[in-house]
Amino acid sequence: MASIANKTDEQLIVEKHITNLHNGFAHWPRAEEAPPALGDSRWTQDLILATWLMAETGQVPDNGLEYKIGASGGGFDVLDFNIPSQDKWLPADTEIDLSIPLNRRDDGAQLKIDLPMYGGGMSYGSISEHVMQARARAAQQLGTFTSTGEGGYPPSLVPYKDHIITQVATGMFGVREETIQYAPIVEFKYAQGAKPGLGGHLLGDKATDVVAAMRESVPWVSLFSPFPFHSVYSVEDHRKHVDWIRTTNPRALVSVKVSTPTDVDMVAVGSYFAGAHIVHLDGSYGGTGAAPEIAKKNIAMPIEFAIPKVHKYLVSENVREEVTLMASGGVRTAYDVAKAIALGADGCVMGTAELIAIGCTRCSNCERGRGCPFGLTTTDPLLQQLMPADWGQQRIVNMYTAYATQLRDLLRKLGLRSIRELRGRRDLLRYVG
Amino acid sequence: MTHAPTGSHAHTGYHRYHIPTKPAPDIEKWPSRFKVKVRRSGLAKLLLSEVFHYRGRKDVILSRPCMYGVFSGPVGGFMPREEHCVGCLRCTTEFPEFVRIEHNPERQKLGDSYFTFNYVDQIAYESSSGLVPVRGAGYRGKFGGEGWDGMWTDMSEIVRPTRDGIHGRETISTVVDIGYTPNFLQFDAAGQPVGNTPQTLSIQLPILFDGGDLPRGGQAAAIYARAAAELDTLAVLTFEQAIGLGQYARAVVPVLRPQDAARLGQLGFVPRVVEMHGWDDALHAAITAAFPEAIIALRTGFEDTPALVAYAQRGVKVFHLLADFHGRSPEGGFVLDLIRDAHKAFVDAGIREEVTLLGSGGMIAAEHMPKAMICGLDAVAVDTPLLVALQARFGGECASRTASEFVLPARLSEAWGVQRLKNLAASWRDQLLEILGAMGLREVRRLRGEMGRAMFMKTLEADAFAGLLGYTEAN
Ligand code: SF4
Ligand code: SF4
Repeated sequence: MASIANKTDEQLIVEKHITNLHNGFAHWPRAEEAPPALGDSRWTQDLILATWLMAETGQVPDNGLEYKIGASGGGFDVLDFNIPSQDKWLPADTEIDLSIPLNRRDDGAQLKIDLPMYGGGMSYGSISEHVMQARARAAQQLGTFTSTGEGGYPPSLVPYKDHIITQVATGMFGVREETIQYAPIVEFKYAQGAKPGLGGHLLGDKATDVVAAMRESVPWVSLFSPFPFHSVYSVEDHRKHVDWIRTTNPRALVSVKVSTPTDVDMVAVGSYFAGAHIVHLDGSYGGTGAAPEIAKKNIAMPIEFAIPKVHKYLVSENVREEVTLMASGGVRTAYDVAKAIALGADGCVMGTAELIAIGCTRCSNCERGRGCPFGLTTTDPLLQQLMPADWGQQRIVNMYTAYATQLRDLLRKLGLRSIRELRGRRDLLRYVG
Repeated sequence: MTHAPTGSHAHTGYHRYHIPTKPAPDIEKWPSRFKVKVRRSGLAKLLLSEVFHYRGRKDVILSRPCMYGVFSGPVGGFMPREEHCVGCLRCTTEFPEFVRIEHNPERQKLGDSYFTFNYVDQIAYESSSGLVPVRGAGYRGKFGGEGWDGMWTDMSEIVRPTRDGIHGRETISTVVDIGYTPNFLQFDAAGQPVGNTPQTLSIQLPILFDGGDLPRGGQAAAIYARAAAELDTLAVLTFEQAIGLGQYARAVVPVLRPQDAARLGQLGFVPRVVEMHGWDDALHAAITAAFPEAIIALRTGFEDTPALVAYAQRGVKVFHLLADFHGRSPEGGFVLDLIRDAHKAFVDAGIREEVTLLGSGGMIAAEHMPKAMICGLDAVAVDTPLLVALQARFGGECASRTASEFVLPARLSEAWGVQRLKNLAASWRDQLLEILGAMGLREVRRLRGEMGRAMFMKTLEADAFAGLLGYTEAN
């Protein structure tokens, strides 16, 4: 009781809700019945609960929760692997390598990541600083990266800078010489899948004093990132951007994040010729930020269709081995990652799955009132505290650990010793729609 | 000669088309989206234990998970205010033992099997706020599907000289022309145009209001007409409904049937456009005599494309093509394919540029409008969404244009109804601008028939998955 007496009301309130929430995150995956209003076609009840369970335990769920696919009726959900008979599996103790190189060109640092995944851009202001810290620390622990998104680089992230991608987007918010210089990878965001062709939007309510200072803008005023880069009319213009980054930070790799229009294959090749090391395709079904509903479903193609289109074209142009192709936008599970790679990607960029690991219910209320009631996509000082960074870090690490177990198991059954061998192996997939 | 400074329009009379929106909250109480079930014994137990545990620290004890006021009524969680629930699930996460959030089955009964409650929800939001629905956390629906759901629109990754380039959304034009434009102009020796000359009128947005099958007259017709007039578009109404709406003469398009030929004078005003409900020689002659300047449109089904082309060759230049309210033709074809077929028939006949194709039926969401235009319509004449915006209830399945029952709220007022329709139009127009902006198009007229800027699930899936074990084109 002494401890209660010594604490402020705010401390007690935060502690009370954190305890309750953590109990709930542990309770529901093990309950006989899922919360009836949880989930949707893409992220089913089972997928969300399985992600919570993986985030808690670091283990692959073994209680009957479906953790591999959703119920969207298309894309990854109608693909499966042709698992050969057991006699063709590699022995259980086989070392399986999940690392992928991020630089396949002969210039710049030869970076590799230990998992075929890194974290996608979520900006300071759209998510809380705690979430950013959790993601950055998890990336460090896992030997991979996370991206700042377009909102600046809070000083609390600097200790993890070797695992942080600096994003440069059309609004240039928070882009400074030093944040480019910190970065092992600089990501140009030309477009994002959830709102292709529409630019970014931070509602005024989220542009607090601190967020505005980071973005060098006026507090409480909505911020729009225009679409597209108005300085880019051609591959040559794009090249100028790449040169600008390479001048500021010669060792940085350059990633180009694009959406998935009809000519996404041409865009990818153009990015390669402009000097990109990583071409990052962002399909239309993912995204964590606010987006017009009309854009999410209707503009640009799903990632499942874009990956093979780009992969094939890069092969036909004879540059496939010089490009790292990362896919995102609706990649929800370890199996989605594996399918994306079998369709031709090198690896995947994850966003929503990380948020779900730290308590997102996918309720879509991120922009309502004070922001996320679970403290994720909010700048509200009280709400942010509901997701402590160290808890979040561990949950994200656990989720990826369970993913890694699944990927190793899958590769072993497919007779592959490295995730790199899976790339483009369409013969290992089957259509089950 | 002096010029106004660049950017100043004070002396030019210039004004930018803008739809004034204003909140127009529901007048009919619809069932809440969620049911909030709290086991009272569980809540009482919790309260007691917290009173003890926190030693009466009131703010701590009363701190509840809901941020939306569901538990903020006089007796808190003992009587949750369900209408405030947004389904965030924080309460049930914190208190799984005694709080349960469910989708409200009563809410899910709104609409019918085609106009599902999700669409109803969307229209309710759009017409009450005038805003573009914006939410976080990505897409939640099915991957693709038949019809509209199996179609995606293109976007332009960078500014390209081959495209219009990008524009501020406010400078994208949504004006469309209705009427006849000849394929080419002819001039006499004096340089004066001879022969066929264009006969068009322009409306500010590719959305017309179709009340041509409104079950009853009454207030809805006046709401359609006034809203259309204020929006600078057109409202298609039955002859009976149109009578007496002369103050909105610019906007009202009466639908005329053969029996109306003898009583056209009763209309009381001269319409700019009229619709003939099916072709009738005598009616056509009567209309031409009574309203020589009016554009005459033919209101008919989509399906008989050779007949449509034949009518065009006989002089009909505006077609208002109808599917049922579920977007079906009598033979079962879906409106997306029906539009494509009709558009193609006119293209093949070499006269697509001469005619205007309007369409109704099954276009119930903002995204259906640009998709329908890409498939070949010049503009969409919206039908059931207007009724939903006015909070009409569906009497069972409402597919038929003649036998469906919609019940409008008893408290319907003209001012409220007009604002709801204006809000809906503003929201749909803004969403159209999102699509056009993403495509890099600066005017909606360029969208018509732009099939190269559309992607279809069947083709994309075949390109991506052909060759996979188990995949056949039939999938
Ligand atoms: S508001 Fe809902 S969807 Fe958004 S991050 Fe929070 S839990 Fe997830
Ligand atoms: S689900 Fe969310 S909005 Fe609904 S009652 Fe619970 S906490 Fe409140």
